[in-house]
Amino acid sequence: MAGGRIAAPSPLPGFGLTFGFTTFFLSAVILLPLAAMVIRALGIPPGELLAMLLDERAVASYRLSFGAAALAACINAVFGFIVAWSLVRYDFPGRRLLDTMIDLPFALPTAVSGIALATVFAPTGWLGTKLAAAGVQVAYTWLGVVVALVLIGLPFVVRSVQPALIEVRKDLEDAAESLGAGGFHVFRRIILPTVLPALATGFTLAFARGIGEYGSVVFISGNLPLKTEITPLLIVIKLEQYDYAGAAALGFFMLVMSFVMLLAINLVQQWGQRRLGFGVSR
Amino acid sequence: MSITLDQVTKRYQLLPVVNDVSLEIGEGEFLVLLGPSGSGKSTLLRAIAGLVEIDHGRVSLHGRDVTGVSARDRGVGFVFQHYALFRHMSVADNVEFALRVRRMKRADRLARRQELLKLVALEGMDERLPAQLSGGQQQRVAVARALAHRPEVLLLDEPFGALDAKIREELRRTIRRIQRELGITTILVTHDQDEAFAMADRIGVMHQGRLLEVGAPDDLYASPRTRFVATFLGAANLLLGYRRGSRVDFERPGAEAVTPREIVAVIRPEEIELTIGAPPAGLTPVGEGIVQELQFAGATERLRVRMATEGPVSATPDREGADPGGWLLDASRSYPDQRANPLAVGQKVTVSARRIHSLPTPITSFTVIAREQAAADALRDTPLLATLATRMQTRITTRTTRTASAPPGMPVLAVGPGAAATALWNLAHGASQVLVLPPGTGLPSRIVVLPGAEAGVGSLGVAASLLRHIPAESVLLAIHEASTPERERASRLRLLLDARSRALTEHGLDLRTELRFGDADAELERELSVHPDSMLVIGLDALEAAEAARVKSLLEGPKQRPVLIVRAAGPG
Repeated sequence: MAGGRIAAPSPLPGFGLTFGFTTFFLSAVILLPLAAMVIRALGIPPGELLAMLLDERAVASYRLSFGAAALAACINAVFGFIVAWSLVRYDFPGRRLLDTMIDLPFALPTAVSGIALATVFAPTGWLGTKLAAAGVQVAYTWLGVVVALVLIGLPFVVRSVQPALIEVRKDLEDAAESLGAGGFHVFRRIILPTVLPALATGFTLAFARGIGEYGSVVFISGNLPLKTEITPLLIVIKLEQYDYAGAAALGFFMLVMSFVMLLAINLVQQWGQRRLGFGVSR
Repeated sequence: MSITLDQVTKRYQLLPVVNDVSLEIGEGEFLVLLGPSGSGKSTLLRAIAGLVEIDHGRVSLHGRDVTGVSARDRGVGFVFQHYALFRHMSVADNVEFALRVRRMKRADRLARRQELLKLVALEGMDERLPAQLSGGQQQRVAVARALAHRPEVLLLDEPFGALDAKIREELRRTIRRIQRELGITTILVTHDQDEAFAMADRIGVMHQGRLLEVGAPDDLYASPRTRFVATFLGAANLLLGYRRGSRVDFERPGAEAVTPREIVAVIRPEEIELTIGAPPAGLTPVGEGIVQELQFAGATERLRVRMATEGPVSATPDREGADPGGWLLDASRSYPDQRANPLAVGQKVTVSARRIHSLPTPITSFTVIAREQAAADALRDTPLLATLATRMQTRITTRTTRTASAPPGMPVLAVGPGAAATALWNLAHGASQVLVLPPGTGLPSRIVVLPGAEAGVGSLGVAASLLRHIPAESVLLAIHEASTPERERASRLRLLLDARSRALTEHGLDLRTELRFGDADAELERELSVHPDSMLVIGLDALEAAEAARVKSLLEGPKQRPVLIVRAAGPG
């Protein structure tokens, strides 16, 4: 290459070819469709766009989507940590089986999870009847949305935290103990800070996934406008009503939010790596 | 005493990894626990720190029994092999950790931190993160952190293991200097003998969970008591020697009136003198050989000499197993010697020794005695015997013909009809001990020692030798008549405790002790039936009819188990 090298010399030839392919592939698959949507959304006069985004039904859907995703991610951060802890620290019969089961929400079609959850939590389902007796209704309320997002988000937290917990060597706890620290102190001062960046990554991933989740939610949420309607569903409804501009506007909003999320993930990871000294040359 | 360990035992899945370790460490002493990996030294160190719970025994720090006390309340300083620094905290926060836990005031913490960082020569590094430090610096931080709360005991678990040679050397000096300055009692665990020699006031050598020997570095090097210590601490040639009268030589026993007593001789490579022609006066002749290998190593020259096949016998059988042309003896010479008397590969040399140390081990070699070769081979391949021979690095020979006296090594027989008579004959004709085995027996999980009144010392010595090589539990059992009067009972107990303390001081073996009153044979049978895979070590005071009947019932009875019989007084 003239001018200067872009990449470090590699024993494999063909940088031009691979880089060209990467650019083309990313453009065709990611950039082009997104750009089309952004152009479409930005083609709407600003006032109209703002009105669409601030529509009462749209705002209600944001509140549900972001609120439920945040709550589900919080729940996952706590329980996902506990699950990861027991998988890393204890050996019990069926540990490998449980370890594999964590990934099921990744693999299962989301609609299947949604229908399964709806069946269980419906007022006639076997968990639903018991909850109804206690005066709690999960299916067809915002609670149902949270339950679906917890299911979908769990593997993100567990899989992020697991390797970090393995990194916390038993030595660290022994060291803290020999210096006089009690169990809770060891957890709060040693284990949690070491795992925190990974936990933050897991939280952000679960949160981002929760905002975009569609398949598993629509079956359990009941989809009542202003009450249990999530933003992705609203986009589909607008499409079905041939309101392409409205769909594009909401899509644009989601795109911006997703980008902000992913940026946050990257920043969190960088922060964690710097703090714990991974990748720092000695 | 600063640290006192009393019969400390730790088992993992029933196997003892630390086996009956008793040890006293004085105020301000620097003790190095040395052993190969898996010898239990790290586990023992963690047990002292309270990071590992022990199954049996007691740990005391400065007279305070801390056996049941958690690590956080023992107040010891611990340094780990991989530093175990808190990576999310600065050097300052790491060092102050123990002080914060103790809610020390900010100003005091700061002063103490400055003092500690100065001690480990890391002033001004306060705000660095561990990731920004080199390995050596990280370990210095770990040492400062471990000393922050002014512990009375400092424990270091292979602290230099992850560092390269030059930094290791420097850190060794730093730690020794700090230890002297503070006068803090310190235990360091390592598998590196150079490190042990360089740092220790005393060295404790561990092997298979047992603390084999404890002593000053030079004493352990010059006069080891066990084969393991002899070969683990520096290089050593182990030879079978023969005690004839007051002197030791290496001439194989021929048709002599009195069978010479076999010993295991340790000759360090640097104590070997190589000459051409006749051996120099005043040195013990060893034999003749041919220079096989010459290695120039700067200040010293390392040589290997192939010993003539009819010459002295190596006590380590694997040395010659691979080479039918004779075994190889290690020698080394200083540079001036080498210059004055140059040798070449292939040259014929006379080997003599400046200094010979004979091991006080009662087991020098085994001789399997049987009528037919097939039976002898079967007995030879018995797992218990084969394992013992391998671990003790002892040779096994077989003998199928009748001879005038017992063999120089320990006779080994099969249980069954006639065993008692053969065993007693060997004991009467020169053997100090006889091992009687059911062919095919594996390693025992428990060794019961039944010392006779006079044979106590001998049987304890043999038991000690066995127990160094078998990770089994051991119990010293004394059985007296149920009719023994109250007054006598106390004195019997005292005798037993004396025997136990002798076992500890003379053989470094700590035995659990039990005194029972009742019918001797019934009590023994009961003890052995509770633990079916027991081995019995029994001391015989005399070879009279009563003893003969007892031996017969043990060796030819319906229940078969390994039995080692020890005679009261050795021959000669």
